Amino acid sequence: MESYMSFSYITLLLLEGFGKTFLLFFLTLFFSLPLGLVVSFGSMSKIKPLQYVTRIFVWIIRGTPLMLQLFVVFYVPGILFDVQLFNGVNGRFTAALVAFVINYACYFSEIYRGGIEGIPHGQYEAGQVLGMTKPEIFFRVILMQVVKRILAPISNEVITLVKDTSLARVIAVAEIFYQNENYILSKGVVWPLFYIGVFFLIFVGGLTLLFNYLEKKLSYYRV
Amino acid sequence: MAFLEIKNLRKRFGDNEVLKGIDFSMEKGEVISVIGSSGGGKTTFLRCLNFLEKADEGEFFIENTLLFDAKALYTDTEIREKRLSFGLVFQSFHLFPQYTTLQNVLIPLNLRTFEREGVKRLPFRKRRVAKAEITERNRQKAMEILKSVGLESKINEYPCHLSGGQCQRVAIARALALSPSILCFDEPTSALDPELTGEVLRVIKELKNEGRTMIIVTHEMEFARFVSDRVVFMADGVIEESGTPSEVFDNPKSPKTKAFLASYQESF
Repeated sequence: MESYMSFSYITLLLLEGFGKTFLLFFLTLFFSLPLGLVVSFGSMSKIKPLQYVTRIFVWIIRGTPLMLQLFVVFYVPGILFDVQLFNGVNGRFTAALVAFVINYACYFSEIYRGGIEGIPHGQYEAGQVLGMTKPEIFFRVILMQVVKRILAPISNEVITLVKDTSLARVIAVAEIFYQNENYILSKGVVWPLFYIGVFFLIFVGGLTLLFNYLEKKLSYYRV
Repeated sequence: MAFLEIKNLRKRFGDNEVLKGIDFSMEKGEVISVIGSSGGGKTTFLRCLNFLEKADEGEFFIENTLLFDAKALYTDTEIREKRLSFGLVFQSFHLFPQYTTLQNVLIPLNLRTFEREGVKRLPFRKRRVAKAEITERNRQKAMEILKSVGLESKINEYPCHLSGGQCQRVAIARALALSPSILCFDEPTSALDPELTGEVLRVIKELKNEGRTMIIVTHEMEFARFVSDRVVFMADGVIEESGTPSEVFDNPKSPKTKAFLASYQESF
């Protein structure tokens, strides 16, 4: 009993859970940041039906709890079509990842949209009279200015994501809370629960430093 | 036929007809100032020339060849090509804030040179070499132009660290780098503090001495009189009067021109 209740044992156990947490966090960002841009193009599209469909989709995703979306992604394919898309430990993780990517892509898309629509029209026109193509105007002129404008809201969203990963627990992804409950809380020890907070604080602290650094990096010009 | 010939240019926004059939022509090397009160269609006229607004009716000819016909349909690529005959300097500069002075001039120039010389079609390794060569060549050109507008000491500054006058001179350099046949100015000094207008007007004066063909929409009457070969007075979407500066300023024929000039002088 004593051996697996020790500080080092629990630290290792939580680290293992936190590894999953980190992987989920990282992969979610990796897929949802670019996907969000695609979604934002949809919601700004001149093709009205595409714009409406995208905006309704964003409304649904932002309007329902992420926890519900996790359940839907994990269970609904099986219930409706009798297919097991997400099998085993990896399947659960993939299901969580899919739900997170869709959810965060929608939030990011709105941040992108705000950033893109906030760029003065003159920047596009300057690009046009200089003979630039539409992609050139977007990638050479607009994008960097958007990045600078949206850095603060994105950092907010990223920090929220760190903590939202704990929701993956509801479909039994072995992230840090799941590890904690299954192995530790059942033994009647409470302090590891607070210890988890330390993991999050350190991680979020690191991210905050990173975003401060990026902000400083981009402070050489003003938009 | 003249160097630039515009026939029956019309543009409406909804119910509001802003340009009601403009006929305009200019010779190579000529400098024409367009004056008139706000809402008279001066800016829309320039924007149509630069294809920022699509004219509803009208034809543009440059050196006797049809450049643009409002009845025809053009692809984006064709419009981009046609646009390069004109350059436009905006009232509020619209420099790219994330780029230095030199980059603001060099990057648009590079993009067009890459396209013209077909760099994209080269295999990957050759592409890099070609780009480096072109960039070097263009850098020389950009430096020369920046020198001619008196900004060689500011090439590595970002626009946020430049004064309004300096920004406008960068914008002029940026437009010049693409070697447009006709350079247009849309109230180039209206966004500037009074003490900074001089440096921009001096640059425009030098461009005139170099023989540039320019259309200048301006509220600087003294400057218009001094720099222009011809002055065009626009009111309510038509060219009300045009002639040499002394004809228009000293002996205006149209009552609208008289009223405009009178109200202008009253403000002093």
